[in-house]
Amino acid sequence: MIELINVTKKFDGKVAVNNLSLNIEKGKLTMLIGPSGCGKTTTMRMINRLTPYNKGDIKLNGVSINKIDPVTLRRSIGYVIQEIGLFPHFTVYDNIATVPRLLKWDEKKIRKRVEELLDIVTLDFNFAYKYPLQLSGGERQRVGLARSLGADPEVLLMDEPFGAIDPINRLKLQDSFLEIQEEIKKTIVFVTHDINEAIKLGDKVAIIKDGSLVQYDDAAEILANPANKFVENLLGQDRSIKALSLKKTKDFILKDNLVTVSNRETEREIIKKLQEKKVKIAFVLDKYHKLIGRYWLEKSKKKEQVEINFDDNPIFTERNNSLKETLSIMLESGEKILPVVNRKKIFTGIIKLNDIFEEVNK
Amino acid sequence: MIFLNYFLENYNKILRLSFQHFYLFIISLIIAIIIGVTLSIMATEEGKEKMGKLIVSITGAAQAVPSIAVIALVFIYVGIGAVPAIISLIIYSLVPIVFNATSGILSVPQSIIEAGKGMGFTRNQILWKIKIPIAIPVIMGGIRSAATIIIGTAVVASVIGGGGLGDLIFIGLKLNKPEVLFAGAFSSALMAIIIDIILAWVEKTITPKGLKARK
Repeated sequence: MIELINVTKKFDGKVAVNNLSLNIEKGKLTMLIGPSGCGKTTTMRMINRLTPYNKGDIKLNGVSINKIDPVTLRRSIGYVIQEIGLFPHFTVYDNIATVPRLLKWDEKKIRKRVEELLDIVTLDFNFAYKYPLQLSGGERQRVGLARSLGADPEVLLMDEPFGAIDPINRLKLQDSFLEIQEEIKKTIVFVTHDINEAIKLGDKVAIIKDGSLVQYDDAAEILANPANKFVENLLGQDRSIKALSLKKTKDFILKDNLVTVSNRETEREIIKKLQEKKVKIAFVLDKYHKLIGRYWLEKSKKKEQVEINFDDNPIFTERNNSLKETLSIMLESGEKILPVVNRKKIFTGIIKLNDIFEEVNK
Repeated sequence: MIFLNYFLENYNKILRLSFQHFYLFIISLIIAIIIGVTLSIMATEEGKEKMGKLIVSITGAAQAVPSIAVIALVFIYVGIGAVPAIISLIIYSLVPIVFNATSGILSVPQSIIEAGKGMGFTRNQILWKIKIPIAIPVIMGGIRSAATIIIGTAVVASVIGGGGLGDLIFIGLKLNKPEVLFAGAFSSALMAIIIDIILAWVEKTITPKGLKARK
């Protein structure tokens, strides 16, 4: 899709990008990461010819970008920067309509596209006639993303788009950005200096140092086999925990050796069932298999007896949560076993702390 | 009372000189805007930001030069009459126009220009659709002070034969007739106020709504 072939860029004799080759795959989210000044932004800016390169070549769909008029090229590539750069004198509508208007689309088509894009970035159509100064940081970021998608470009370039957002909103924006990408499946080049962001979002991660490519691979592969000390340091001490954020809870669900009961059964029946299976917890499901409660056994202070407790609002994890998120729910609640549900709260099985630990130790 | 009498008796003369004054003003302002804004646009093109900054500091300092000095210099090189008067008015009013337009365009955030470029705006589109509309309030500020300065300085320019309301002031001075002097001063002050009100309205009208938007 986008091929960088031995690209070199010098600023006043100083090498910014050094003989860099990178093949960016169609439909994938490729993260460029490295310390500041490593040349990641320069690399990205060369793709839409905002920065010219000195040596080598960059090809878009097999065509050297130097053969494409820069203005035409840029209109065909979405572009988002950290400061967003919304036009303050344009409404949200006009901002999103920017590239379609440059391409002289007809107004009906533009209106339909603006409505569609506001919906994709989960902004109400009421926002269309607001001005950027009237929006919050997160809303501006969404409008910036919508604007870059204006003319439905195949390729998106994003330069630290969430860098200026506070950590809590950043996580939310990342989540919705991932969902949007699942829908639109664009070829995205995403510059970041945040390793957690790179691992969370990236299909592919390219690690750049001093203008050279250090490692380029799937996020999981990089976590498992860092190419050198530099990558190890970049990943940090907790890379086995980071690896957990790549794994989904749904892949670790256990379905046997567990007890589910209906809300009609008596405590005596439930205790009997639990003792037969030699487990301590029973999950209560309604007729739709929705999780509605939990029984657990505890040794009584009186000898040779057990007590049974009921909780009508049990802690659970969702099947699409990452293992890291499930682990933190477990650590916070002190539970070693959690029920796993889907987004409608239908019970799908359980997950055990031990299994997560085993995954860490792999 | 004597002032009012003079006004009523010389109604036609004052009106004629006011028109002359306005003529000097409007010609000088239009030419100064064209030259000044063009200069500022040239000085703020991409890659010439250093020159733009230099121009901002030069014009900033030039505002301290007294108007009479400019008028005297033009008189020495061009002579007397309405044309030298207009030339000196243009030169003198260029200073605030260039100062404001240049600093206004330079203060458009780089991120906005960068975003425009990255989305495929041409050079001209960046200028006319991004830089100028965003800098409009600052550019208009320069034009408003230039207008006030021209009306005031045109009074002085009458010493080199520019005509206008300055004639009344100098006649009043020479003949020791305060009512004549006052008629000239009052009329030019009134003109300056009216013109500024009009320009304030123009500024409000052409400033893009989004720049004034509040939550």
